[in-house]
Amino acid sequence: MEHLTHERLAALLDEPSTTAERTHLASCERCAAELEALREQSVALGTLPELMPPKGDWKVLEAQLRSAGLINDPGVFRHLGLARTPGWMKAAAAILLFLSGTGTGIAMARPAASDDFGTMADRVTTVEDAASAVRLAEQQYVSAVTEYRQLLAAGGGEGVDVDPISRFAALEHLVRVSQAAVRQAPGDPFLNGFLASAMAERDAALRMVSSGQDNWF
Amino acid sequence: MNIETSQPTERALIRLAADGDARAIRALYDRYAPRVYAVVRRIAGDEDLAQDYAQEAWIRAIRALPTFRGDSRFSTWLHRIAVNAALQALRKTETRRKREGPRPIDVPIAPAHRDSLLQKRLEHALDGLPEGMRRVLILHDVEGYTHEEIGDVLGVTAGTSKSQLFKARSKMRVMLADLGGAVQEPGAEAWSI
Repeated sequence: MEHLTHERLAALLDEPSTTAERTHLASCERCAAELEALREQSVALGTLPELMPPKGDWKVLEAQLRSAGLINDPGVFRHLGLARTPGWMKAAAAILLFLSGTGTGIAMARPAASDDFGTMADRVTTVEDAASAVRLAEQQYVSAVTEYRQLLAAGGGEGVDVDPISRFAALEHLVRVSQAAVRQAPGDPFLNGFLASAMAERDAALRMVSSGQDNWF
Repeated sequence: MNIETSQPTERALIRLAADGDARAIRALYDRYAPRVYAVVRRIAGDEDLAQDYAQEAWIRAIRALPTFRGDSRFSTWLHRIAVNAALQALRKTETRRKREGPRPIDVPIAPAHRDSLLQKRLEHALDGLPEGMRRVLILHDVEGYTHEEIGDVLGVTAGTSKSQLFKARSKMRVMLADLGGAVQEPGAEAWSI
């Protein structure tokens, strides 16, 4: 029998050989070696590594996604994926944000006691540490937003029994505190956006109180 | 990372990304960009085209995220989008090239430092294959598609896919031998035609 062709040998990686081919391969070192080399080539192709995209690839992609409207602008609430949250819930979220921010400030002024992200970030000395810290932050962010959304969904934005006057008072307090924060850092876009949101919500609450409407959601 | 523990996080990421959350999209990108880029790069056979094709693939994927129901793994779903995007873009590019004239010389893939000489040679040989053969070889031997799947993606019969694959393997073998870096050196020497 003549030597097997390259293509036939390549096919034998996936297809059964005939009796004549098996007999030939058993006696022909050249064809047997070639078949083995093709097999190894195929295995090597299957284990080729992933390839890193060029540097700056994400920046270009991000710009394209934004221009296509596939990424939301990171406003105060959109930044947390809460763009479609009812206004009163945004205000509540703002209060929570503010309080947690105050808590963070207090915590930062004290020696850290727990093994949280803050302390982990402080310990970052290598790229691997930094990558771990980023992954942890990502997980915490996703968990927090997911949990918050579940809470919103469970609440449904309906039937929350809050006294309108108490709500207005709370928002008024929030505005005053926010104003104080803006005085400390007048150029900070986050604080300014926060204050603007709080003022808008307070004014809306005031209109509700003034008009005597109970259903101010 | 443990796949089982990472899955709920990935589901949450996908939901957030579908709503346009920049951080979630970035997290998905960081996780899968090397895989997407690798398949697109190998199909494109050209560095510059690959980046364009990969970006097109990501835009398509993010746009289609709200339709992802989780019937398959996200990585599989994304991979299929990347392959389709690359093949479609490549067809457009080829049409344009035919109108405009000869194709410039491709820049070979530069694997990372740790990659072996063999990988470099394989990538180089892949780039040198004719388009049709390269697509089938990449989809079958590199990406693990079946001939039926390749037929669906490329719009050819399974028989044509098989025929192209065997030719591609054979040609690749000869090219590797010519490069002096066949997978199995003794065999390559014997077949250096």
